[in-house]
Amino acid sequence: MLEIAPLAVAGIDLATGTAAVNGMVSGLPVCIAPAAPLTRWSLRARDAGALSAAIGRALPDRIGVVIDGIARLGPDEWYALLPEGTVLPGGAGLPVSVVEVTARAVGFTVEGAGAVAALARGCPLDLAGFAPGRATRTVFETVEVQIWATAPETYHVEVWRSFAPWLWHSLAAGLALTAGLD
Amino acid sequence: MILIHCPYCEEDRPEVEFTYGGQAHIARPLDPAALDDAEWESFLYIRSNPRGRHAERWRHAHGCARFFNAIRDTVTDRFEVTYKAGEQAPDGAAR
Repeated sequence: MLEIAPLAVAGIDLATGTAAVNGMVSGLPVCIAPAAPLTRWSLRARDAGALSAAIGRALPDRIGVVIDGIARLGPDEWYALLPEGTVLPGGAGLPVSVVEVTARAVGFTVEGAGAVAALARGCPLDLAGFAPGRATRTVFETVEVQIWATAPETYHVEVWRSFAPWLWHSLAAGLALTAGLD
Repeated sequence: MILIHCPYCEEDRPEVEFTYGGQAHIARPLDPAALDDAEWESFLYIRSNPRGRHAERWRHAHGCARFFNAIRDTVTDRFEVTYKAGEQAPDGAAR
């Protein structure tokens, strides 16, 4: 069983990567791992059509839906998770905001039959009905995260960089603790 | 845990994603300089504190980040209805 307190002060070097952790939650296997490097863009606009035209990509109409790596988080807010190095046109002169925020957040992948249970340890959202192709901002314990359902039993968790060590330890400790109890 | 229906996300979402924003439908005076002290005090500080139905603002802070309005019963904590900011309160709503 992992000791949470020493881990919390030890920290981890997320820039150089962290080994994947395998464990069990409620008897089901889960693997958590740092996600591959991605480019992140924050997209804001009152008029979705203007933003879509500015960046030359389709935008999801419905809040919580992902189209081609772009999730709609709110009525005027989209968030893009794109392959590393992708550059979006800035939309200069248009009433839109297209800002790269790659360094703001890091991603974790939570995968396996127990992925929902692993996330449900800290997130009160009903993930059982959260089908692939959906994404939303929510909370894990007290930390704001985004959860993207990328494939069946596979979730991508976006978290602000400064909160990432805590979230990583919390997820890892959850797996180990449950494995010990099982 | 209470589930709150967000009118923007069109989903029932857990209470911890939301923050309370005080009484709803408080109109900012169009000409604040014309108000006397009592009226200004009333606008700034005086709020209703009903036992029962209450129109109030909420923000889906850890979701779509939008403010919206709700009718909540302060006795049972039950949310009767939620609706988008700028929309009229449903008929019969307490102010």
